[in-house]
Amino acid sequence: MKTPILEFDNVVKKFGARTVLNGIDLSIVPGEIVCFIGPSGTGKSTLLRCVNGLETIQGGEIRFEGEPVRGGHRSITAVRKRVGMIFQHFNLYPHLTALQNVMLASVVVHKEQRDIVEKRARGLFERVRLSHRIDAYPAEMSGGEQQRVAIARALCAEPRLLAFDEPTSALDPETVGEVLAVMRDLAAEGRTMLVVTHEIRFAADVGTRMVFMDEGKVVEDGDPRQMVAAASSERARQFLGRVQH
Amino acid sequence: MNDGLVAYLPLMAKAAGTSIWLSWLGLLLGVVVGAGIALLRRSRIAPLRWLALIYTEFWRSIPILIVMFFAYYGAPLLLGFDLSPFVAATLALALHASASMAEIIRAALASVGRGQWEAAQAAGMSAWQVMRYVAVPQALRVALPPSIGVFITTLKESSLASVIGYIELTKTGLLVRDATGGGLAPLLALGAFYFILNYAISLAGLAAERRFHVGRRQDLVGAMT
Repeated sequence: MKTPILEFDNVVKKFGARTVLNGIDLSIVPGEIVCFIGPSGTGKSTLLRCVNGLETIQGGEIRFEGEPVRGGHRSITAVRKRVGMIFQHFNLYPHLTALQNVMLASVVVHKEQRDIVEKRARGLFERVRLSHRIDAYPAEMSGGEQQRVAIARALCAEPRLLAFDEPTSALDPETVGEVLAVMRDLAAEGRTMLVVTHEIRFAADVGTRMVFMDEGKVVEDGDPRQMVAAASSERARQFLGRVQH
Repeated sequence: MNDGLVAYLPLMAKAAGTSIWLSWLGLLLGVVVGAGIALLRRSRIAPLRWLALIYTEFWRSIPILIVMFFAYYGAPLLLGFDLSPFVAATLALALHASASMAEIIRAALASVGRGQWEAAQAAGMSAWQVMRYVAVPQALRVALPPSIGVFITTLKESSLASVIGYIELTKTGLLVRDATGGGLAPLLALGAFYFILNYAISLAGLAAERRFHVGRRQDLVGAMT
């Protein structure tokens, strides 16, 4: 049994009076590819955002590599340096070129030498198949290209964990495939990934684990193929039936 | 145009330089103070936000003429020593400009989308780094065009330094008019000087905008969410 990289221990998150996460218990070991599925507004994205302290939790504890994650506390920087996040709307820096976007954190936050970072960044552009777009500005790229740059940006800081927050939800249907292809490559490398997604087929193909959430709780947690074929809970069966037609 | 006026034009040109220097100084101080006030407006501590809001609303509600009098006659009462007309005029222009700049900088920072701050924070940047590398470069492009407007306003407001005895362009023009026996020509010359100065600032502003790619489509991307 591997030591967990990430643990959720009875995590509670409230927005005012509304409870968004209601006692989440999860333990994730290195190499797992955990896909979070479930209806909109059930706290999947919020759960992800708690991992690197973009949201603070009101109860319980999250531990990353054994250390408690405390949003709003100085120590959160150490966690953020090791977690790469990919957003639904990419959030590339519009005033920087694709290459500058990828390099920025490594140079500024990790204080690495520029030429070393640039070499690594160029390699990453090859891997996300965007070497020809290295000097383009975000506005000059398609959504699919921007999201692949965002993935390269997350990878450049050499994170221990990748967190994808609905990475294909804002994309045109024809560019979804190119982003999922890059994510498949990453999965094949054995990276630890958390993926909030509505792409059930991707989750079943690539995921090593599927977590179905509803109303701030983990309803079902198991093998993706098995769950898609025959979920044990009624709610998961209903949801999966709906999204797969 | 009479010969007398032409002889005085070099003097007026020199005075125009004085006006530019005075308003540039006022604007510069205004930008520094305004940036500080804008940051206070974003503070987590509510009383600091209120203080900044009161400061902004106060100074931009008071006519520059009264601020000039305040700086020249009032400030010495508070400070305990007299201010030269130049220092008082600079102070007055800076107070006025800082209120406008605070609003411009606040709005420019607010125009940087939440996703930008989050992406930078998620990458592990400190509050200072987020500002330096992500927020300010984007906010600058938004702030530049209205800041040019503040510079022009400040230059025009500097004409009121004449009332506290500072001899800048307007005062010089009026003195020239007296010396040349009155008439419209000195006033027209004065207007021409202001027009040339302000138009030059506008053109310089446009050139700066082009340089920083203000309004290019790329500026809109990160603003979403």
